[in-house]
Amino acid sequence: MNGNLEISVDKLPVKRLDAIEETGAERFPPDVGYDEKRESLIRRIDFAWAVEKDDNKRLKKSSKESSSSATTTPWQWQNMVENLQFAHQELSVIIDLINTVEANDAVTVAGMTRPKALPNEVLSDLSVSAATKLQCYRHLGIYFKQSAKSLEQQIAKEARFYGALIRLQQNWKVKRQRVAAPASGNEGFTIDLFDNSLYDSAPVSRPSSLSTIRIDHDSAGMLAINLPPNSCRSFRFGFLGVQSGDSSKQCSKVKNSCSPRPSKEAKESVNDDECVREKHSLLREVHQAIFYEQVFDIVNREAFKQSLGVNVTGIRENYLQLGIGLGISIFLSLIPSNQGDLSVDSWVNQNVESGILPLDSHDGVKLAEEKDDILRKSGGYPNPLTYEIYLQQVFHEYLYGRAKNKPISTGTRVSGPPTKDGSGLLGHFCLSLAHRIFSNKVHVELENAVCGVPYLHLVSHPTWHSRTSSWTVFLKVPQSILHAESNSRTAETAKSHFRTNVVVNDDCIHVEGEGTPNVVGLFKGRSEDMSSMNKYDCDLADLPVIILQQVASQVIRWLHEEALMVGIKANRDFLSLSFELDQGETVSLVAHVDPEDMRGCISWWLVMEDGFAAERKLSIDISDDASDYKKFLGHLSLDVLYSTLMDLVSLCGGGSH
Amino acid sequence: MNKGAGSGPTAAAAAAAAQKQKTLMQRVETDIASIVDNFSQLVNVARVFYCLESYLFFVITLFPLKVNDPPVRNSQESFMMEMRASRMVQAADSLLKLVSELKQTAIFSGFASLNDHVEQRTNEFNQQAEKTDRMLARIGEEAAASLKELEAHYYSSGHRTTQNSQQ
Repeated sequence: MNGNLEISVDKLPVKRLDAIEETGAERFPPDVGYDEKRESLIRRIDFAWAVEKDDNKRLKKSSKESSSSATTTPWQWQNMVENLQFAHQELSVIIDLINTVEANDAVTVAGMTRPKALPNEVLSDLSVSAATKLQCYRHLGIYFKQSAKSLEQQIAKEARFYGALIRLQQNWKVKRQRVAAPASGNEGFTIDLFDNSLYDSAPVSRPSSLSTIRIDHDSAGMLAINLPPNSCRSFRFGFLGVQSGDSSKQCSKVKNSCSPRPSKEAKESVNDDECVREKHSLLREVHQAIFYEQVFDIVNREAFKQSLGVNVTGIRENYLQLGIGLGISIFLSLIPSNQGDLSVDSWVNQNVESGILPLDSHDGVKLAEEKDDILRKSGGYPNPLTYEIYLQQVFHEYLYGRAKNKPISTGTRVSGPPTKDGSGLLGHFCLSLAHRIFSNKVHVELENAVCGVPYLHLVSHPTWHSRTSSWTVFLKVPQSILHAESNSRTAETAKSHFRTNVVVNDDCIHVEGEGTPNVVGLFKGRSEDMSSMNKYDCDLADLPVIILQQVASQVIRWLHEEALMVGIKANRDFLSLSFELDQGETVSLVAHVDPEDMRGCISWWLVMEDGFAAERKLSIDISDDASDYKKFLGHLSLDVLYSTLMDLVSLCGGGSH
Repeated sequence: MNKGAGSGPTAAAAAAAAQKQKTLMQRVETDIASIVDNFSQLVNVARVFYCLESYLFFVITLFPLKVNDPPVRNSQESFMMEMRASRMVQAADSLLKLVSELKQTAIFSGFASLNDHVEQRTNEFNQQAEKTDRMLARIGEEAAASLKELEAHYYSSGHRTTQNSQQ
């Protein structure tokens, strides 16, 4: 052997050999169970032995002290020192334990219980909880108040909105469209202004773009109706070349503009009422605008029918010009409601076609009322506003009266065309208008004629028919003559007045008068045939002459009757009354009519004829006042005529006697 | 409700209306129950009680917070209170929407009374139209009478005679 003996010490024997038997079998120590192992490990940190040691020390000390305490007083801090020592001891135990746990040496913390809290800790805990809760409740309070406020506002807004909507629904048709994604709280309400009853009838072909109106919310949440500007158009009617100074219609129309109004800050209840009333007015204007559009549409369609007798002389967008005869042209247009009178007239002026009317167009837009009236009178043009209303009334009656299946009210004096067929409406209207203008002219002529004769009266008879006018020209015998007659005899009272009726139907003048001898009666020479009513038509130019001749013949007739009354035989011709004198001479009272005569329209001549005058008749120049055979008597009143007649009668009577 | 002539559609409409009414009532009850429930819960949470197991410990890192610990419970309760409050407001809002729906339904369902009102207004307007017509007729008659009178006066007056003499 070398002498080096190596010894290895195995440090990691898992099991140590406990014993070895003779037979060589190894005997290991029994396996330590898990719990036992744990227990053994815990015992390693079991400080009980140290604690016991300390307790023993303490007991010894106390016994020593007790033996010596009989003589000495205890130190007042002794207990505190002992307590601190115990605390120090416990802390050192715990720190060792913690170090062991930190080393993670097979021991970990399974669980811990907290030490019992001291009262002040509990109370502070409670106070913190209470304070936190209080704070939380305060926050909630603020939150609730804000929510309540906003909810109240929302309720108020909705109440106002729905209140207004329900009020509007009393008069208008409210519809709802279910929108998929309502924007800004818009529930899709609309107001439908289209009348379904018209839809089936022919005149209205399509609903207007204004028929459906959307209801919105305005900034205050209130109901608002927003219309595009200039969407409402109103009707305008006029005579071409005549500027209407009638701006009252424009002023009274559209007090509320179609544009949305800014929100007011007045009291809400009053504001709501006003708001609802405004909306009603706005809807009414739109309704009217739709009606005007319908009327314009119908007029446009009917204007092109040949049978009407009206001619379309101009057409533009929203503008129609018609010639209705007698050289009169009218225009119909749709203009935006808020366009003022000034701009309308200038716009109309731009559309005037020249050379249609004898009236001058005017430079100034605004005319004085008087000047306008004079022009109207001179041209016989009525107020266009009246005919605008009449046109609307005619079509309104047709559209809505027929739809409701109601007969025309008997109270209405304006008789219209047969309502079964609407195509005659425009024709009827144009004929009415033409008639009115024509009858104005007739009236002027009659007035001029009547003014020229002092003993004539003109009486107008309103016919309440739009295409018929009637007047009567009265010839009144003065009362003085009548009284004289009644005193002298008890014969039949003579006529105190003579009538001439003038009736105008459309543009036909019909004159009916008494006292004119008819042709047959003239031939037969019988007086009873001479007092029939004569009826004939004439035109405007001849009307004054006709009337004056009629009147003159009535005067002649009256004079004739007077002469007969006193027993004198007289011969009556159309405009002359002849008396026979001795020697075959005749003296005649001859009437001469001249409408242009400013001094009087009927003048009288005294004509003397001898038996041989017939030969010279053709050569007599009746304009020669100085002729021996004729004498101009002048424009005599009935009194003077009567006295002249009596003179002639006495002449005849004296001559005959 | 619709006053239909036939019983079939009316019955169906009535059934639909009853169903809708039931639904609305349910919604109302749900909302109100929600409000009441949440409110009572809120009031309940106001109690601050002492929990035996709730200790405070200084070394927080070693001792994790349990559910019953006050800070946890405080924040838990405050969150719950906020949640209940918002639920209450939500239920109130839902009620408000229900009221709006009811109003909309009212607008589109009271047609009988609306028709009556419209009829009444129509009659009123017709009467007014007739009255206006009569008035216009009367005005016309008066105007005609006045015209006649004035014409008679004028033509028998000295004014006209002087006019004639001036011509």
